[in-house]
This record gives sequence, C-alpha cells and structure tokens, in this order.
Amino acid sequence: MTDHSETAVLASEPAPPPAHSASEIAEEELVQGSSLWKDAWSRLKKNKLAVASLVIFLLIVVACVVGPWIVPYDGQEQDLFLGATAPSAEHWFGTDTLGRDLLVRTLEGGRISLMVGLVATVVSLAIGVIYGATAGYLGGKVDSTMMRFVDLLYALPFTIFVILLMVAFGRSMWLMFVAIGCVEWLSMARIVRAGVMGLKKQEFVEAAVSLGYSHQRIILRHLIPNVLGPVIVIATLTVPAVMLLEAFLSFLGLGVQPPNASWGVLINEGQQNMEIFPWLLMFPAFFFALTLFCLNFLGDGLRDALDPKSAKD
Amino acid sequence: MSDQNEAVHHEADVPVDPRRDFLVLDDVHTHFDLGTSFLTRESKGVVKAVDGVTLTVKEGEILGLVGESGCGKSTLSRTIMQLIRPTSGRIFLEGKELSALSDKDIRHERINFQMIFQDPYASLNPRMTVLDTLAEAIRTRHPNVKGAGMRERVADLLRTVGMNPNQMKRYPHEFSGGQRQRVAIARALAPEPKLIIADEPVSALDVSIQSQILNLLKRLTREMGLTMIFISHDLSVVRYIADRIAVMYLGRILELGEASEVVDHPLHIYTRALMSAIPAPDPRTERTRSRIVLQGDPPSPLNPPQGCNFWPRSPVTHDERMKHEEPVLTELRPGHFAANCPFCLNGA
Repeated sequence: MTDHSETAVLASEPAPPPAHSASEIAEEELVQGSSLWKDAWSRLKKNKLAVASLVIFLLIVVACVVGPWIVPYDGQEQDLFLGATAPSAEHWFGTDTLGRDLLVRTLEGGRISLMVGLVATVVSLAIGVIYGATAGYLGGKVDSTMMRFVDLLYALPFTIFVILLMVAFGRSMWLMFVAIGCVEWLSMARIVRAGVMGLKKQEFVEAAVSLGYSHQRIILRHLIPNVLGPVIVIATLTVPAVMLLEAFLSFLGLGVQPPNASWGVLINEGQQNMEIFPWLLMFPAFFFALTLFCLNFLGDGLRDALDPKSAKD
Repeated sequence: MSDQNEAVHHEADVPVDPRRDFLVLDDVHTHFDLGTSFLTRESKGVVKAVDGVTLTVKEGEILGLVGESGCGKSTLSRTIMQLIRPTSGRIFLEGKELSALSDKDIRHERINFQMIFQDPYASLNPRMTVLDTLAEAIRTRHPNVKGAGMRERVADLLRTVGMNPNQMKRYPHEFSGGQRQRVAIARALAPEPKLIIADEPVSALDVSIQSQILNLLKRLTREMGLTMIFISHDLSVVRYIADRIAVMYLGRILELGEASEVVDHPLHIYTRALMSAIPAPDPRTERTRSRIVLQGDPPSPLNPPQGCNFWPRSPVTHDERMKHEEPVLTELRPGHFAANCPFCLNGA
C-alpha cells in the first residue's frame, strides 16, 4: 500500500444504501447468512464415503438401542440343552455355548460398547476442552504447570492406571467409563490449547478484550466455538479408540463382567471356541469392525469438511 | 467521569495538565523483557517498543501517528488501549488515570475507548453473525436492550457505517474486506466511545476501498464528536485524514504538529525523508522530484543507538556528538515540536 495517490484518497464515498422508510426491520427482509457449520455440512454431504458411514453407523445405533426389545429372546436366558447352534431361521446369529441367542447378545453388547464410546468421549471432551482452553488462554506459568501435569499423565502407562483403579474401587462398568474418559482427555486438551493459543493472538480476541468482556465470555463465546472444528474431529476419532480400549480391557477380563456383554466380551468368548463355533467370533467382530470403520471414515470426512484447506482433493 | 475516584499524582515538572486535556500520555514506556537465558542466566535483553512518549490529544481531533513498521506505533496503540500495560508512565483519559486502574476496573472503563484493527479478516469472530457481534458490543453500554429494540440499534449502526441493515444475519466470511472493516468500525462505535484508535485500518484494503473507509472515518469523527488516533505507515493517508501528525521512530516521537505544518515545513530530517518517499501523481513531477534516501534499516529496538537514536541512518552527517546528546521534543515553531538534535533539524 505504499503507492497511495492523492486522487485515490479523494474519491468520494459511494452513495449510502437506500434509506429505509419504515424503521422496523422485518424478519423476512433479512438476508439469512450461512454459518461455517452450514457450509461444512454441505461439504460433508458431498463426501459419499462419509455419508454412507454416517448412515450405517446410525443404523447400527438404532438396531442396538431398539433391537433387544424386538428380538423374542432374552440375552441372559440360558438353554443348556440347546448349547451352541449354527445360525438358523430361529436364531439368526446362532446361539453360544450356554444356549443364549447371539443376535440379542450382540445387540446388547453393542449398547454397552456404544455407551462406553459416548460416555468416555463426553467425559474426555468436557475435561479436555475446559482444561485446554483455560491453559491456552491464561498462558504463562499457569499454562506450563497445567501442561506439565498433562505430560505426567501421558507418561503414566494407561493399563496400569486402569488396573489400579479397578483394584482400588472394584470392578464397575461406570468406573471404567470414567477411567477411560480421564485418560483420553489428554490429547483433546493439547489440541484445544494449541488452537486457543493460536486464536488468542487474533484481532477478534483483542477486540473482545478491548470491549471489556469477561474472561468467561471470551473463552466460551469467542475461543471455544472457533476450536470446535478440530475438537469434533478428534471426538469422532476418540469414540472408536475408546471402544477399542474397552474391548481390550474386557478381553483382559478387566472391563465389563459377564453376564453383561460388550463387543469386547463377546469377541473374547468367541475366540475361545473359534475353531468349533466360528460364528461366535464372526458376528460380534463384524459389527465391531464395521462400527470402527464407519466412525473413522466419518471422522476423516468431518476433518475435510470442517477445514476445507486441509482437504486432499 | 467523576473526579473523586482518580489517583492523580501531582508533580511540579509534569509538562502537561492531565485534568484539562482529553487524552494525556506522560512519559509512557512499554518494554518487553525477553527473559533470562536458560543456561547462562543472562538477560536476553529488553525490547523498548515504546520508549518515553509524552503526548496530548485534544478532544475532537484526529491525530495521525506515522512511522515505519517496527517503530512501536502498534505497541503504543495497544498501550493506550490498556491491552498491554505500560512499563512506566501514566495515561489519562478525561482526567482518569487508566494506567493506574486494576484489570477489573479497567474493564468497565473500556466502553469509552475502542479500537479498529488492521486486518478485517482477523478482527471479526467467524462464528458470529454481524447481528450477534454488534449486539454483544451494544450490550456493554446498554445491557438491557433486547429483541426488536436491539435489532433496531444494530440496523442504525449498520446504516451509520454505510451498510444495508438487511445483511445483519450474515457471517463475516460472506463479506468483502471493505464491508468487514465497516462492520469492525460499527463494532467499535457500538459502545458509544469517546476515543477511537484506528491501527492501520486501511492498509489491508484495496486502494479503491481505502478512500471510502478513510472518508467514512473522517465523517464519523466529525459527526459523532469523536476523538481519533489514526495510525499508519503511509504519510499520504495520514495527511489526508489527520488534524495533527506525530512522527514516531524507534519508540519515540520525533516530530509533532499541525498536519499542514508537518507536511509543508517538516523540521526533522526523518520526516523530510518520509515526505520525499510519497510518489507524485504526475509522472513528470515524479521523475524530477528529489528524494532523501535513508541509510540501512531501522536499528533493533533491542539495542537502540545512544543519543539521537537517528544517527546510524542519517543521510546528512554522522557527527560523533549525535551519540552523546539525548534530544528532547521541543516547540520550535508555534505548535510544532521536533526532537532538537541539531544535526537532524532542517536549517537549524
């Protein structure tokens, strides 16, 4: 802007927009803006893989929530005379060694697995976003102290941490949910902190400070909504990670306890009789893998949609 | 502004009367300590971004602040805004010492002084509509306005800055740079401030848009009785809009006076060099005009030169005496001040 001539400066202002005769502004007159969320949604809709993943995932969720009430069997009801049977018209997924209907057990297991994914992710979101935003916003010594604590937790071997918790508080499903959430918030906190530190230097945050807004208002209204894009992506990718963790713990016998089932428990039971009754492994493993695939594809799609600059194509 | 709850220290040698003038800067320093080296524990130094600025701004005037990039003009603006607290010195707005207020108290004072930022692409929250952004700012002065009343106020503000009110539900990314800057101006006006600091408000815009925004700022300042500090690195922009001009160099003010005085009779060699850098619209004049070319780049504010801090770049002389005498801003012509370094002044 160095070559700035007098003539350009003196060019007159354009005529102001037509004056409104009525002082009232009618709602229908307003041009409706399109928020960045709306734009992201329209970009996501163009990604076929992500949309297909979303549809399949929602179908699995609906099936797991509604299914157990429709299928005419009880997942806990044993029929020792029946034993393990192959898939048939009566038992679509067959039965397990105790004669329980595998379809119901898979759906019920799905309920628990999905719940773990949801609860643990919400816990990690709540802690991670607030913690990271506070550290990033306040900066300085507070920030270093808070982030060193995160480093410390990172260094702690997770399995030992959960085993200790289980030993100390007894095996409880809810405790496991919380324990997983408490570990998974670390990456969330780091990402939110990095985002907030970058945003803090932007002029709109300076403007918010110069307007005298409270710290709380600046963090909640001006910072967090602007880091929500990466947060949503991470959350979507945290759900499968958490479900995998639960399956791993259940596989070790530390997680969900029989007769309750999660996909991890079912896969564990299935692999014990893998050679004789392969369907006991196949069905839960298939649903589990399908869910993880869907969530990962959805997460990738969301990342491209929310941050179009990073999209590969 | 009540006069009771202010903490004014009276000193005999203070050259300005903080009670009478609108905005007073009294020997303001803003330094950034780079900390100590981790291994050797030696100081990494102190950046003296603002290094002793004394200035008064009269009510209703537009003061133009010019200087090269890195001269401390943005830091000075943020210091006046109390976004960065001064290391030392005092800042008074209408007799109230802003620099003495606590972080908590300053928040309630902020509606009286607002800022327009350089980059309209970064100065608006991308997740908020124009309506939300402006309503939030209006609520700082009028916390109880809601619904249709609020919408009416937002519409008025948008008309004031020359935008169509039916755009209020749109998001910043749906506007051009010039329109965004209008929204940013509307936001600065929303709390009904008395002082507006415009930090290079046109330098991120196309030249054709610059003039519109400049005219808008000039008109608003006159019509609303505002006082404005207009910061730019471009002397041609500043001389168009400003009543008075202050020239800043390495954290200090080198020259200060009425805009026409400073432009037509620049006293300091640095101001003359800046003036000579403005290209002439007529190519024939442009070809023949003489330029004063400064030597080198501005020195680092980390380690500024002693004495007259201009000596390493002076195109005229490198007299050793410049390094020893600290020049003082002195009134050399009526209302026209300049740093009284004898080697830098025009014909002095």
